[in-house]
Amino acid sequence: MLLADFGTSYCKFLDLNQNTPRLIPTRELTRSSLRVDIATGHNGKRYAEHYVNELTALAKGGEILLHEKSFTLLDCGSRDIKFVRYELGKIKDMGWNAECGASMGFTIELLEKYYNLDFSLLDVPASSFSVTCGVLGMSHIFDSVVNGQSESEAVARFVKGIAVNAYNFAGKPKILHLSGGLCDNPLFVNSFPCRVVSLGRFVLLEGLKSIIQSGIPTPK
Amino acid sequence: MQSVGIVGIPPLHIIKKIESSPIYDLDEPLVDQDIENASPFLPRVYCAILRTAVVNSLSLKPATIYIDVGPGKCDCAQHTATILEKILPDSKITRTINQDKTDFGTPLCDCEMPLLKKLTAITSSVQSSKPHKKLPSCVPTAGFWGVPPRDFSILSLFPDTTHIYGWTRCMENKTPDNRMLEEYVNPDIPTVFFAQSFCAKTALARHLADCHPRSLYLDCDVTAGSSAKAKIQAFLELSGVTNALG
Repeated sequence: MLLADFGTSYCKFLDLNQNTPRLIPTRELTRSSLRVDIATGHNGKRYAEHYVNELTALAKGGEILLHEKSFTLLDCGSRDIKFVRYELGKIKDMGWNAECGASMGFTIELLEKYYNLDFSLLDVPASSFSVTCGVLGMSHIFDSVVNGQSESEAVARFVKGIAVNAYNFAGKPKILHLSGGLCDNPLFVNSFPCRVVSLGRFVLLEGLKSIIQSGIPTPK
Repeated sequence: MQSVGIVGIPPLHIIKKIESSPIYDLDEPLVDQDIENASPFLPRVYCAILRTAVVNSLSLKPATIYIDVGPGKCDCAQHTATILEKILPDSKITRTINQDKTDFGTPLCDCEMPLLKKLTAITSSVQSSKPHKKLPSCVPTAGFWGVPPRDFSILSLFPDTTHIYGWTRCMENKTPDNRMLEEYVNPDIPTVFFAQSFCAKTALARHLADCHPRSLYLDCDVTAGSSAKAKIQAFLELSGVTNALG
């Protein structure tokens, strides 16, 4: 059985017979013939027999990975950010920001390539830009560079601004469980003003696996 | 016969006077016009219901518009009335303050019926002074609290056994200024607390959601995006509502 999380920049696949997830850039996907058994992600409906809402997949992934009754789990994707908050075993709050929080992950990757940066070598800056979305935040970087700040420091302030914005969006938890590709970015992870537990980029796949194993019906 | 427009819920004595005339409920999208047509007169960051009322009024030009500006509506309606007086000099703009206290009951709010159909029936019932038909109530599996949304498409995500609370319940009861009824909720069922963005009721919606043990606070502006719909769908699924339509 093939499970997939069709993200904006990367698609994640899990064959339950092999149990090792695979990561493929979305632009390399062969679109015509691909079919999976169950999918999530914003492109998922095109490829799957069964589609699961991304928030549901995230929540189910959190339930299975965390074994905790109360937690906040934030997924920072390329296109959007979303979170679920559980209290005493019940869903208490959730959010999905595809507009004001748009394109943050995408912009971070773009800046890394454009300025040829290595995020593992950058220090977390003392202050951040006020960033509400990737596109609007770019202008802060250009202004700072024009005013004499180094490109790497300006980008680091931008990345910290994104982390602070995501933290506020998730309700300022004391401990934040983080999902998504940005878990691999040490500058981003260390920029949060709280303790962060990184769960990696395959949390939604774990959610799909949990849904299949529990036999919960999902809308087609 | 001259047409009449209403914004909010005029008092019952007004409804009795106008119910034989063609009535436009100006709060609902009635004309195929861009909501941006309201922007020369109201800020873009403003209640989408009142922006819709302005767009409708400009297009339909009712001879008379009754606009409720009391505690059963909002201050924004008061200011919108002033603007309508200026931009529609040929229409008679009549401000009302509806503080009717006679309870008409809430059979639609508590019955088993597609939520979209229920909301449509409730908003239509505002134009009549007659008592409601009796309907059997159902056991609720979910709750919808709030005003009728500008975008009714979100309602199709709920199960038919959704009970309605908040100002929509006050609408059916024909008591729009009824704080106790507006704040009434059922803590035993997962409930979506909805408000229009930029509406004062966002504060009450979020407060009640915080107090409710199984709640989702949601606000939307003109149209509900895919993320808003996904939140409702996921909330119902994760709350164990198995008969939601998705």
